[in-house]
Amino acid sequence: MRKKEIPWIILFLLPTCAVFLLIFAVPLCMVIGGSFFNYRLMPKTFSFNGIGNYIQLFTQDKNFWLIFRNTLVWIVIHCVFHVALGTLLAFVLYKKPRGWKFVRVVYMIPNIISQSAIAMIFLNMYNPQYGVLNSILKAVGLEKLQHNWLFEMGTAFPAVTMTWFLFAGYTTTLVLAQCLSLDEGIIEAAKIDGASSLQIDRLVVFPLAKDMIRTTVIMAATYMLQLFSMIYLTSGGGPGSTTTNLPLYLYTTMKSTNYGYANTIGVVIIVVGMVTMFLINRVFHTREE
Amino acid sequence: MKLRKLAAGSLVFCMVAGAMASSAFADEIVINYPTFQVGANTSAPAIAELVNRFNEEYAGQYRIEVEEVPGDENYADKITVQIASSETLPPVVYGAGQKLLDLALQADAVKDISEAVDADPDWAAMYTESWEEVNCRDGKKYASSMESEMIGYFYNKELFEQAGIDGPAATWDEFFEDLDKLKEAGITPLAMDTADGAWCTQLLVGAYLASTEEGMEFLKTKYPTDYNNEAMINAMAKAQELYQNYTTLDAVGGAYENAANNFFSGNVAIICNGPWMISDFSDESKTEAGFADKVGAAAYPDSFVYDAPIEGMFVTKQDDPALEEAAVAMVQFFTSNEAQAVALDLSGMVPASSAVEITDEILEKYPLLGEFLSQASACENRASTLTGNMVPGLEDIWDNELPNLASGASTPEDFCQVLTDFAAANPAQ
Repeated sequence: MRKKEIPWIILFLLPTCAVFLLIFAVPLCMVIGGSFFNYRLMPKTFSFNGIGNYIQLFTQDKNFWLIFRNTLVWIVIHCVFHVALGTLLAFVLYKKPRGWKFVRVVYMIPNIISQSAIAMIFLNMYNPQYGVLNSILKAVGLEKLQHNWLFEMGTAFPAVTMTWFLFAGYTTTLVLAQCLSLDEGIIEAAKIDGASSLQIDRLVVFPLAKDMIRTTVIMAATYMLQLFSMIYLTSGGGPGSTTTNLPLYLYTTMKSTNYGYANTIGVVIIVVGMVTMFLINRVFHTREE
Repeated sequence: MKLRKLAAGSLVFCMVAGAMASSAFADEIVINYPTFQVGANTSAPAIAELVNRFNEEYAGQYRIEVEEVPGDENYADKITVQIASSETLPPVVYGAGQKLLDLALQADAVKDISEAVDADPDWAAMYTESWEEVNCRDGKKYASSMESEMIGYFYNKELFEQAGIDGPAATWDEFFEDLDKLKEAGITPLAMDTADGAWCTQLLVGAYLASTEEGMEFLKTKYPTDYNNEAMINAMAKAQELYQNYTTLDAVGGAYENAANNFFSGNVAIICNGPWMISDFSDESKTEAGFADKVGAAAYPDSFVYDAPIEGMFVTKQDDPALEEAAVAMVQFFTSNEAQAVALDLSGMVPASSAVEITDEILEKYPLLGEFLSQASACENRASTLTGNMVPGLEDIWDNELPNLASGASTPEDFCQVLTDFAAANPAQ
């Protein structure tokens, strides 16, 4: 790089840096800073609280650890099982069985429908009075298994999980694109060497598609850390806090005008996100080694 | 070539015409008005009419542009988030019983309209004691009400007849006996809900709460922080019993819409709600033709009715004083006696001002309203709603804990303790 190019590089980088600082860095600093204050609107309060909010969150808040656990469990379910489901389907489709294009498109549809619409569909499916699920159970004589799926302690968490668990269209599309871009010569060579279909998938295709799978795992984790509308529109986080996650908890805390505490929850979300990214990269890096 | 000249000429003409048109409207002040009183909301016809009338009366000077925000909870959330994020609020905000005035006041975002109110004798005369309680703070007038929250319940006369019930119960003992009669006749007695503040349920719980002295006192407490009192625990125990034995399966998890739908389709005999629902009984897109004739209206047992002006419209502080003036004009227009008469006529909204006469024409149009108002006027006990006095954010806890109470996963004592924990940790005063 020549010296006279440096001012130009700085000039061209400036707008991006400025936008990043304004949109991400400044609010991030405000969230972190705000988490050390007792800041409420009703009654109007603004005073330095040190790590008081953190102490309250980790030691006194009766709901926090359940909500934290919910968030982590959903991240794990999404990163492991949801991605596995999408990857599995991609591995089936890349062999181009009859109707594979149709399946690829159909499987993507739930991912392009708005979350509000999906939530309404599930709200009606789970409705204890006229919902499809209870109607089917009644029709086959399993009335004892009928539940108010979204609003009973024992069924709410899995019921909310099912609203997104099966729809791994993005994972399938991305992994399938990666698989389809593989050099067919490599697959052919493996076949000539006598590798079975399963061996080709496991020992050839999977390692070559691993980078894309890692991307989908990261996407899955971030999706779970942002998940809000689907829970809000179905169970609303209840019953109790059974289906509340950290973003929803932040929102309800903000609604109670306890902004300092809401900022503290925001910081926890950021930290959980960073740790999750680190762990995902670590897992894939270790496997590479 | 000719074509090019023609195209260029047309463009120049459009630009000049556009510039002239925009300069003609340059002085017109636009009031962006987000509201939930749109679409299927029962107040929508009245609000649409008032917007049109305002825009006609102030043509060239002020113009209201409605921003549709379906759902009162969504509207309250939107304004709360705007207050929280220190965004400039819309010039006019409707408090609508959502505690938005106090929130906005804490953020120092509300304009004092005392001067404008006092300058208009008709407007000033509206500020009676009950008005001042909801619309004034520290002697200053901040909001102006358009309608009154006068609430009883509606019942299906046909279903009552099938169960051998003559009419609305005078005491709570009679009321619960009637529920048993309905149940014995194979009729689901009550429309209840748990979501979106559990509107129908909280009305029933609050009315039952008002049947004791302690309960009435609690119901009148603004932003209570302790729900561990005998009256509240008894009321929640009664709610638990009602959820488990006297309502529909979809009450748990359902919102007002589910409850209303059950009433409209004749699945349940009783729903608690205000007179604004009356126009829905004749709306054939919601229920069958002739349904309105089957409905009766009543005040609650033990001579109780919810009666308080709904926290009204308020003007928020703006950078542009002209926009603030426009907003004051809008509030004055929308809460005037004439506007309240229009709202009563078009949507059956009970006027907040006692100066608005309920004419024979109105009573002929809404006979059920007359039936209800005659009963309500005879009531000796009055208060505002239970959730209307909750500290901000507690309604979410209320919503999420009700399913546990309904299923028996928590006891009424547990339920009240959870409310107390939250309210005590988040006092509003």
